[in-house]
Amino acid sequence: MVSQILEIVKLNITLEWRQRQSILAVLLYVLTTTYLSYLVFNGIISSETWNALYWIILIFAAVQAAFRSFQNEADRRFLLYYSLVPPRVLVIGKTIYNFFYLLVIGLVTFALFLFLLGNIVADPLAFVVLVVLASAGFACILTFVSGIAAKAGDNPALPAILSIPLLYPQVLALSRTSIRALTGFSWSVNGPVLLVLLLLALVSLLLSYLLFAYLWRD
Amino acid sequence: MKAHWWKALGVVLVLYTIIFGFLGSVPRLPILNETIRVLYFHVTMWFAMIILMIASLSYSIGYLRDNSPFRDLKAKEAALTGMFLATLGLVTGSLWARFTWGAFWVNDPKLNGTAVTMLIYLAYFILRGSVEDPQKKARLAAVYNIFAFVMMIVFIGILPRMTDSLHPGNGGNPGFSGYDLNSDMRMVFYPAVIGWTLMGVWIMNIKVRYTKLTWKLNEQLD
Repeated sequence: MVSQILEIVKLNITLEWRQRQSILAVLLYVLTTTYLSYLVFNGIISSETWNALYWIILIFAAVQAAFRSFQNEADRRFLLYYSLVPPRVLVIGKTIYNFFYLLVIGLVTFALFLFLLGNIVADPLAFVVLVVLASAGFACILTFVSGIAAKAGDNPALPAILSIPLLYPQVLALSRTSIRALTGFSWSVNGPVLLVLLLLALVSLLLSYLLFAYLWRD
Repeated sequence: MKAHWWKALGVVLVLYTIIFGFLGSVPRLPILNETIRVLYFHVTMWFAMIILMIASLSYSIGYLRDNSPFRDLKAKEAALTGMFLATLGLVTGSLWARFTWGAFWVNDPKLNGTAVTMLIYLAYFILRGSVEDPQKKARLAAVYNIFAFVMMIVFIGILPRMTDSLHPGNGGNPGFSGYDLNSDMRMVFYPAVIGWTLMGVWIMNIKVRYTKLTWKLNEQLD
């Protein structure tokens, strides 16, 4: 099973590499929105605004990115996968792949924010750890929900309205913790929050593992 | 007539709630004053909503097992009736907040939980609306219902306990159990929960039967 999961991850990375415009489009989306914030919030960025903007831009980029990962293959490639691997392997593989995808987007957004909106992060390491946890949690929920959205047809608003309410718990915990990374982070105080974030990701991964088989068959 | 006793019970309990909810004795407390009576309506409607959402969840799980269109119909109608009760609970809670906290809506974990619940179920109905094929619609909706319900429980159950809240029962504010030392309020509260739940089940029942009749009629016409 592990080798099959790795195969799926590898297959997705290869496919992504062959048609690079997909990830480049999401990165460009992040760049344009960050630059927009740079123009609009010209010089009046406080750490609270910085923090709030980061998570809002990241959430919309993540929803787009994750939806792309299923959009093109709802009909055709699903059949190929169906003959190759059991659905549970597919959803785990896709989630791992989306985790790396979202991690890249999160880190690039972080770098852009540091460059354009000012380096006001007191503890960059803590912030990066939060970005890693966010990528894991987002990937677990978004992979599954974009599977639903891709199956449901081409309603362009569907991925956002289905997934964003489900992301509220994580974003709330993340933004309240990351503001402390901007001002001064204590690992012992914030440890439990990091643990809760990890548990949230695990719960949603477990649910997608259990439910994906039903979503998938036609 | 045998099968209808619970409807009569529901009507009696709701009438009892309304009469004793407004006329019964309540503890005299500063700030809260008479607004404490909202407990009989706001909190009980939310209890009834949670019960209906759990019913919807169990129909969705059942649907994934046997693919019966009736289970899907019941899951949908239970969620719809739950949303109706949630809206009523939201309005009553909002009015209460206006007179005790000074605003209709505040940024509070418990209220954010409410918002996320309603947004999730609205998304559930949008999802149902955007799929044509009835079997596919039922399957996707069932899967989303299960996934969303667990996330909702996590949100309204766990996160408010992590931060402070203004809402009674959280963050050092006394909850319902703190007020009812004379147990007068309990005598109205629990019947009210059962009453609103029975009313909800009745509404759901009528809507399910109506849709079933429509299906039958369409079959005869075809």
